[in-house]
Amino acid sequence: MATAEAKATIENKTGIHARPASLFVQTASKFKSKVKIAAKGKEVDAKSILMIMSMGLVKGTDVVLKADGDDAEEAVATLKKLIDDKFGEE
Amino acid sequence: MADKIKGKGVISGIAVGNILLAGQNLDSFLVNYKPGKVDAEKKKAADALVKVAEALQVSIKKFNEQGLKEQAGILEAHRMMVEDPAMSGAIDEQIDVSKSAPKAVLDAYEVQAQVFEAMEDEYFRGRAVDMRDVGKRIAKYLLGIKEPEIAGKVIVAGREIEPSVIAGLPTDKIAGVILGAGSTTAHAVIIAKTRAIPTVVGVGDGIDQMADGDPAILDGDAGEILIRPTDKERKAYDEKIKKQEELKAYYATLKTLPAKTKDGKEVILAANIGSPADVDAANGFGAHGVGLFRSEFVFMGKSDVPKEEDQFKEYKAAVEKCNGNLCVIRTMDIGGDKPLPYIQVDKEENPFLGYRAIRISLQRKDLFMPQLKAILRAGKYGKAAIMFPMVINVKEFLDAKQFVEDAKMELAHEGKEFAQDVQVGIMVETPAAAVMAPQLAKYVDFFSIGTNDLVQYTLAVDRGNAQISYLYNHFNPAVLRLIKRTIESANKEGKWAGMCGEMASDPNAAILLMAMGIKELSMSAPSIPRVKERIRNFTFTRAQEILKEVMDMEDGDKIKEYLANLKA
Repeated sequence: MATAEAKATIENKTGIHARPASLFVQTASKFKSKVKIAAKGKEVDAKSILMIMSMGLVKGTDVVLKADGDDAEEAVATLKKLIDDKFGEE
Repeated sequence: MADKIKGKGVISGIAVGNILLAGQNLDSFLVNYKPGKVDAEKKKAADALVKVAEALQVSIKKFNEQGLKEQAGILEAHRMMVEDPAMSGAIDEQIDVSKSAPKAVLDAYEVQAQVFEAMEDEYFRGRAVDMRDVGKRIAKYLLGIKEPEIAGKVIVAGREIEPSVIAGLPTDKIAGVILGAGSTTAHAVIIAKTRAIPTVVGVGDGIDQMADGDPAILDGDAGEILIRPTDKERKAYDEKIKKQEELKAYYATLKTLPAKTKDGKEVILAANIGSPADVDAANGFGAHGVGLFRSEFVFMGKSDVPKEEDQFKEYKAAVEKCNGNLCVIRTMDIGGDKPLPYIQVDKEENPFLGYRAIRISLQRKDLFMPQLKAILRAGKYGKAAIMFPMVINVKEFLDAKQFVEDAKMELAHEGKEFAQDVQVGIMVETPAAAVMAPQLAKYVDFFSIGTNDLVQYTLAVDRGNAQISYLYNHFNPAVLRLIKRTIESANKEGKWAGMCGEMASDPNAAILLMAMGIKELSMSAPSIPRVKERIRNFTFTRAQEILKEVMDMEDGDKIKEYLANLKA
């Protein structure tokens, strides 16, 4: 079992609102690995839109992505890219 | 004797039907529920999540096929909440505590709702309603409560009527609406208004006296509801219903007649709408086009800036349904009172005097351009007009107009078809715009007077404030002078002035406004026949005399009384 971890900062203007959150969850759900996102001292399931939305990730929040499983490396890299690309927003 | 329940009638008319409770109380079902072993309950809950998600998927598909994207979108969000992996764990934990699957589901979603309710962001806070709605839906499945079958007409009743309930009901089956809450701006009331569904609000605990399927009579004029009426009581209403039918039939005969005074002066009666579907209802009342298309629905409930293509489809549908009559589309009129995820508005002391409407549009090219381009393109399919809200000076209009020109350039570059001759005008809803009307009239194609805000801003009276609502009067002489000035300024420059505020639906105001020189009155469609009837009973000469009398009067309440007692 592999584990992977990466840091990222939320840069899009509206933060992780409904649309980015659902995009994030859909992406995370494509991987078999357990994926978590940690911020502000909390750590939640990255495949749960409710958990992610309830973290209130606004612009400027630093997050840590963690994955555990066969495709852990790829999961973390893909999700980090999604955040870095500002979810295709401004 | 039937149970008589008192409330406040907000939409007139009499409705007969069976009660359909929305926002049902599940307590008695929960008490009678016999849970099995903990593991069995967990299995039941897990199965319920799958089944409810499937049922939602079926409804989503149905709504998408009918083009009801808004309603499909709400249910899509609900489906994600049902399938959320965090919830199955949370429900299992609740089952360990309460031992009952339905109770656990309700509790788990309640916990989640409270998390959202405590959030700072207004948009997230609003999602708490959806969480509870979803929890209830799953609990009902577990309790074996079927979604009520709708046979015949129903009167929908609830303390609050949840978004999914309205989204899931065929509107032609709704005879009446009863709300426990006192709000006249609730989602349910707004929908009822455009469709002329008799509605009573503010019945409070009266809701508890009703059960699903109870026969009932709702009187939207008296603000009364009779539950389980006796034959005798029903008969007493027969007379009223007969009168209502007669009036309806009489109004129907007016449908094709022009809104013309006895001596031949005509005014255009148009409809205020919130979505393209409303145009069909409006045409049924004899509306000649749309004087105010509130484009907000295009922006609400979206997590992102609405796309040009999506907006184009909506505007095109509305323009086409107008059958060659003008369709005036107001650009986004949203502010801090209804924040959206893609519009950042800092906390404001007074959102109605804050960052909103045209003030946002002028700073947000990414929002404004797609809307303008979509309207210009829709203009190709009939007659469209662009109207800017909240304008206070000439510069704002000229800046906005420049955006329209830029939008045309972009469309030309992109090789998209659009209408060159789309009229561009403003809402006159600030005292500043009314005072500057002579200058503004030089540049605009038209004015449309928005009386709801104009009265509030001119008199400094919040009409939602019950203690001072007696001061709110569109016949206040200061307001009348601003209106007269606006209309005369337009006419002097060869432009046209209309009205799209509530005053336009007041038959007592119609004669006065015609004498001032108004060309168009736009209102919620069910008011059209009443206004038309009044206009057809008067002569323009008499209207001018009335105007002269009124402009000599100094007291708004006296003017109101005088106009209410007028003889043709």
